[in-house]
Amino acid sequence: MCETCGCGKPGEFKVHDPSHSNNHEHKHDHDFEHTHDHEHEHWHDHNLPHDHEHNHKHDPDNSEKRVIDVNIDVLAENNNLAKLNRRFFEGRKVLCLNLVSSPGSGKTTILEKTIIAMKDALKMFVIEGDQQTLLDARRIEKAGAPAIQINTGTGCHLDARMVESALEKMDIEANSILFIENVGNLVCPAMFDLGEHKRVVVISVTEGDDKPMKYPYMFQSSHLCIINKSDLLPWVDFNTEETIRSAHSLNPALEFITLSAKTGEGMDLWFKWLKKQAEFKISPPKV
Amino acid sequence: MHELSLALEVIRIAGNEADKIMAKSVQEIDIEVGDLSGVEADAFKSALELLSKDSVLGEARINIIRSAGKGRCKSCDHEFEMNSLMATCPKCNSFPSEINGGREFRVLSLVIE
Repeated sequence: MCETCGCGKPGEFKVHDPSHSNNHEHKHDHDFEHTHDHEHEHWHDHNLPHDHEHNHKHDPDNSEKRVIDVNIDVLAENNNLAKLNRRFFEGRKVLCLNLVSSPGSGKTTILEKTIIAMKDALKMFVIEGDQQTLLDARRIEKAGAPAIQINTGTGCHLDARMVESALEKMDIEANSILFIENVGNLVCPAMFDLGEHKRVVVISVTEGDDKPMKYPYMFQSSHLCIINKSDLLPWVDFNTEETIRSAHSLNPALEFITLSAKTGEGMDLWFKWLKKQAEFKISPPKV
Repeated sequence: MHELSLALEVIRIAGNEADKIMAKSVQEIDIEVGDLSGVEADAFKSALELLSKDSVLGEARINIIRSAGKGRCKSCDHEFEMNSLMATCPKCNSFPSEINGGREFRVLSLVIE
């Protein structure tokens, strides 16, 4: 398994701080031809800790078959870690948003423009999730916010454990916003709570207005839907009303903002939404 | 293919449970997969078979137990089998419905030796 290129067993991932990339052992350019299969020692702990004690009696000669009830939710461990992440955010009054979408919807561009426009008003941090490369984290840092990149290798989504590992490498200030840009994928990330307060699903008008019906789990679990690339609406057959109607059949509470990160149209609505969420999280209204 | 990481998690859970009672091997594992859980049962089973080769589940028979989606219409209280999250009430044709079943995804039991 190669720690550099991410090829390896499913479930392995790496966390990079692009601002400290000089310290990385693997700074070499990537050779697409390499087929080495030597093993590097992985710093991360792959198996979640289980430290129960084996202090009960056991009869080694008893080889009878027996049925044991387990009844454990497969996602319980992830959900518990997500809960801990959320508690960490709440302790620091950090608003955490999980951005999900298919690849190419414009999540990173939305974040870049948000950071540039809002960095004087809000403290923002970003965790970037991609299968490979530090490209997105570098774009975010260039825009002016600290970023940590998680490379999921063969993985198709972020999970709460990966976010926890990234948090160890980040010094998130209190009273700030943490954006987690998930791996571009409308299927898998839907099942994994990362500890976020709100889930934001981004679709672009070039993708078609049938996205909510095709990927119902994602739209059902999101709080806000951003319809991006609105500047292209005159040239594509995208029916905004139909998108909203079908998404509301799954999730009547889903909010919508139509914008163009490229031209800036509608971005003020997104900033307003963000400020509203941040105010609530950062300084809860007095009762 | 989140089914791959879900399969790894099932192997971890089975390993933990087998360790607890110092089981020599796991003969069978029963896993409940709800029709509205977001897990593709066939893909999940294939992933588990593939990944469990060198694990505690290497010799185990994998039993997938499907549970049907159940909905209760929020307009007329009619209870019906929900085949998808988009399902409308077959009686009054409205939505949304409250989901009362079919979200399950859990390891039910192990047969150990």
